[in-house]
Amino acid sequence: MSENKPRMRETRLVMISPASNVTPDLLVRTAHALGRELSAKETCYGCLLEGDPATVAEARDELRKLDPHGIYSKRRAYPAGDPRRCRAQHGTRPGYAQLESEWKLLANLQNAMDAIDLGEKAPPEPQKKILPVREFKEIYEVNL
Amino acid sequence: MKKIFIDPPNSMILFDIVERLGHEPLSTMAALQERVDNLEIDMPPMNVTLDDVISGLKYAGIEVPSGIRGRLATWGPHIDEADAAIVMAEAPYSFGCVGCERSNEMVKYLLRRRGIPVLWVEYPGDKEAAMRMLEKTKEFLGGLE
Repeated sequence: MSENKPRMRETRLVMISPASNVTPDLLVRTAHALGRELSAKETCYGCLLEGDPATVAEARDELRKLDPHGIYSKRRAYPAGDPRRCRAQHGTRPGYAQLESEWKLLANLQNAMDAIDLGEKAPPEPQKKILPVREFKEIYEVNL
Repeated sequence: MKKIFIDPPNSMILFDIVERLGHEPLSTMAALQERVDNLEIDMPPMNVTLDDVISGLKYAGIEVPSGIRGRLATWGPHIDEADAAIVMAEAPYSFGCVGCERSNEMVKYLLRRRGIPVLWVEYPGDKEAAMRMLEKTKEFLGGLE
């Protein structure tokens, strides 16, 4: 790629499900072993990939092969190591609470994808019951 | 490949599932990346430009709090652009200090007003709910082709 040619950036956040055996180290080694023009940064939850969109998409597909149901990804607005976001430079990380919350759910998704692959059908959604007035009174009249 | 608006707009789970099923998710991250790369503003989305404030007026009235208008300035163009939408109902992180319930209601209103196909999926709190969510999403996105 010419140095003068403007390039599009895509930064991708790759996260490992808590039920997966893949480690962030393995992700980064695999990304480096691809030999593409791509930067990979190891993090506690997985890794960050940065490069042009086609290369990042290719790397994402290669990383997914390590554990097809255990590796998830999304785009990230800020570049990797940006001082406004990077913890190493005391940046804030306002989206981290949501990331942590979603990370806890990934095991459910992984188990669900495994079950669907084995031919299981999803059980029907439980019906929401109407709360009888007597029970409702017991709740609101409770003496704390 | 269809453009799918996801709600919560920065959800990794929905982003990943839509991508796996071969469609393009429209998320907050892409909109913010434009602001990070091209504009000289300090820290999007905490700081906005005058253009953001003006474009937010298309989606929310002048009397609406600035936080809602700022959010809709980011999400609104994606709602206009989307071919369909997937909404994850009752996601705990879209409510409370990291979310904004009034903005969420406005997003749902804008989706209904546009009249595009919208799928309401369950929050995958356990394996069974995740299976229902995946099956519904697959069926919905398959039906869009």
